[in-house]
Amino acid sequence: MRFALVFCIPLFAAAQVTPEAIANSPNAEWLTYHGDYSARRHSSLKQITPDNAKSLVAKWVFHIDGAKKLEASPIVHRGLMYISNTNEIYALDARNGRKVWHYSAKNAKGTRVNRGSAILGDKVYFVTADCHLIALNRSTGNLIFDVTYASFDAGYTTSIAPLAIRNGILVGVAGGGSGQRGFVAALHPDTGKEVWRFWTVPGKGEIGSETWGGFPAEMGGAPTWTTGSYDPQLNLVYWPTGNPWPDFYGGRRPGDNLYSDCVLALDAATGKLKWHFQFTPHDVWDWDANENPVLLDAVFRGKPRKLLVQANRNGFYYILDRETGEFLHAKPFVTKLDWTSGLDDRGRPKVIPEKIPTPAGTKVCPSVRGASNWMSPSYNPATGLFYVVALEQCDMIVASAKEPVASSGFRGTGNEGIPTEPGRFFLRALDVLNGEIKWQYPMPGPGVMWAGTVSTAGGVVFTGDDDGNLVAVDAKTGKDLWHFSTGHSLFASPVTYMLDGKQYVTIAAESDVFTFGLFQGN
Amino acid sequence: MRRAIFSIFSVCLCSLFAQRNLIPTDSPAVEAGRQIYMGACSGCHGATGEGSQGPSLLSGRASRLPDRTLLNSIQNGLPGTSMPNFPMGSEKINQVAAFVRSLTAPAITTQPAGDVERGKRYFFGAGKCSTCHMILGQGGHPGPDLSNIGSERTSGQILESIMKPSARIAEGYRGVVAALKSGPTIQGVAKNHNNYSVQILDKDGRLHLLNREEIAKLELMDASLMPSTSDAAEARHLVAFLARQSTRMKEGALSK
Repeated sequence: MRFALVFCIPLFAAAQVTPEAIANSPNAEWLTYHGDYSARRHSSLKQITPDNAKSLVAKWVFHIDGAKKLEASPIVHRGLMYISNTNEIYALDARNGRKVWHYSAKNAKGTRVNRGSAILGDKVYFVTADCHLIALNRSTGNLIFDVTYASFDAGYTTSIAPLAIRNGILVGVAGGGSGQRGFVAALHPDTGKEVWRFWTVPGKGEIGSETWGGFPAEMGGAPTWTTGSYDPQLNLVYWPTGNPWPDFYGGRRPGDNLYSDCVLALDAATGKLKWHFQFTPHDVWDWDANENPVLLDAVFRGKPRKLLVQANRNGFYYILDRETGEFLHAKPFVTKLDWTSGLDDRGRPKVIPEKIPTPAGTKVCPSVRGASNWMSPSYNPATGLFYVVALEQCDMIVASAKEPVASSGFRGTGNEGIPTEPGRFFLRALDVLNGEIKWQYPMPGPGVMWAGTVSTAGGVVFTGDDDGNLVAVDAKTGKDLWHFSTGHSLFASPVTYMLDGKQYVTIAAESDVFTFGLFQGN
Repeated sequence: MRRAIFSIFSVCLCSLFAQRNLIPTDSPAVEAGRQIYMGACSGCHGATGEGSQGPSLLSGRASRLPDRTLLNSIQNGLPGTSMPNFPMGSEKINQVAAFVRSLTAPAITTQPAGDVERGKRYFFGAGKCSTCHMILGQGGHPGPDLSNIGSERTSGQILESIMKPSARIAEGYRGVVAALKSGPTIQGVAKNHNNYSVQILDKDGRLHLLNREEIAKLELMDASLMPSTSDAAEARHLVAFLARQSTRMKEGALSK
């Protein structure tokens, strides 16, 4: 099995991806699900501006055979784009969309969607629906390892884009709606062996277990199904958690149900908890806090602060001190919000008792889908604006006191929309330091989208809308600059990158990956 | 209503499972079936099931028949088609079906005979297979990764690739030489190519993403870059080793 040919010296050298490079992106490249560690999704690229955005044209489309609901943000590095689907990943030539390699975990169990990959060193990582972390050589797609980090047979599944930091590939699990015990784990980048694991529901006798009234930790939920953020200087990982289980009936889990609906600050080296902040104690509305925790430094009320901000599913935009977890400020970013009379000075909501779901049904705003969800927001330091897709909607929620059985489909009963009050999406620009809405871009449509945003230094914000369009708007004013109808519903967030001096914008849409750039003749 | 649908679904599911495992998998049955097949079936379906007058048994609907349907098709034929009935008794019918199944059974499930350790030594040693192929990150470029080959190919396909590497070249592994207008020549395998671009993986595992306008001359090879071997004994041990390369079968060992 020898090659008879003599090979010449290669021209294209594969580079190692370092944590420092990730921390300094996104620039010409897009190196994590969020673009960088801060989850700001703000690119330094300036070629596309409000003046020329009208000249954007489609550059290429890549079809993924069998894909039905692409939700991934692609990663772009050294001319290759990595785009994942359920149990598979492709590497494409990012200039033209030509397939370079494809890896399919053919024997993987489960069909859950996949939200993306991570890169570090010479490897690309992604998870399969049955909670395997797979490491591949970035250039060839050759398998390096395939390890299990949670049992599919025990009910675990996942859709997460991993986060690669120096000492670990961070992964999480779904399960808030089916009664598994959530956790965040760091797996060794070279071997996949577990470095640390933090359980998001404390075990019996552990701190926080007293907030469950004896409910079994093994069924507590608090899943970790979205990608966290990371501060390399503080060496803290910020990981959001989902709802306690059963979703809509809390009678058997009296208490705050830590660490559900939280953002956790974990020591990146050990996984130990430094602080936590819980947005919705004792959640009975399925308001996971898995929305992106966005990190930024700013002068807040006259003092330089390291901040963490999040537009939460419960309808409030939060500002926290990310060194200490101190609650600093919150403000509703939707008008349809009726479950609380406000927050106290520590950020704890004052719940209106009539808004706790009952067997007869209770109308609650926001809806179960939330005022926002996992669709990515973005933040532009130049405008000071935080761009978030918001949903104005209420639901009828029905609660049941049935005995909970994990993995049975039981969620404490459920929710349904109100036919006369359909949901409506908006792209909203919030003042990042107080949450005031500066402008909004309405999105007419059927109310099905889950697309997010990317911000650029060129002064353009790209977002998917509720009618299947990729849209460019002016970052300062929200003025509509350009749109392209993909012919699909959108469930992913766009990214941007530059190759050969050309800026591109990419979004995945159901079964196809669309890439755009400025018209440049031939 | 939901319960009724569930019950019907359960019955169907049970029936499906009940149809499985009707066909033997042991080597004597497969070998006996092979002898019958060569006399009775290969004329239409080809010696290795590739199909000729009759459909391929390696892909398409004919490769996915449930056990009961396959057995009935052999015994009773398929009315309205050229497939005749073979009233040879249930034991022989089962043996033929066993051989047909073996044509598409992943190598990991058939566990072909041979000295696995010797095959491994040959792969990483004298055979120099690992110069161009990898298993779980060990080996070289630019040949196909073989980490999961036991689950992806039959034993027969693996043997064919060793003995006749040019018989079938996997997508993305066609040899290519690109002479660039700027001077250098790049050799490797074409991961993809069309009239506008070519993506080449070289022996060092480096990718060259090229526009066709950068290339003075592009030569795509019809023959595999892999040399064949005539050593049938070593090939047998190599097949035994490669047949056992299956990542998911090893997941326990790979996990923490």
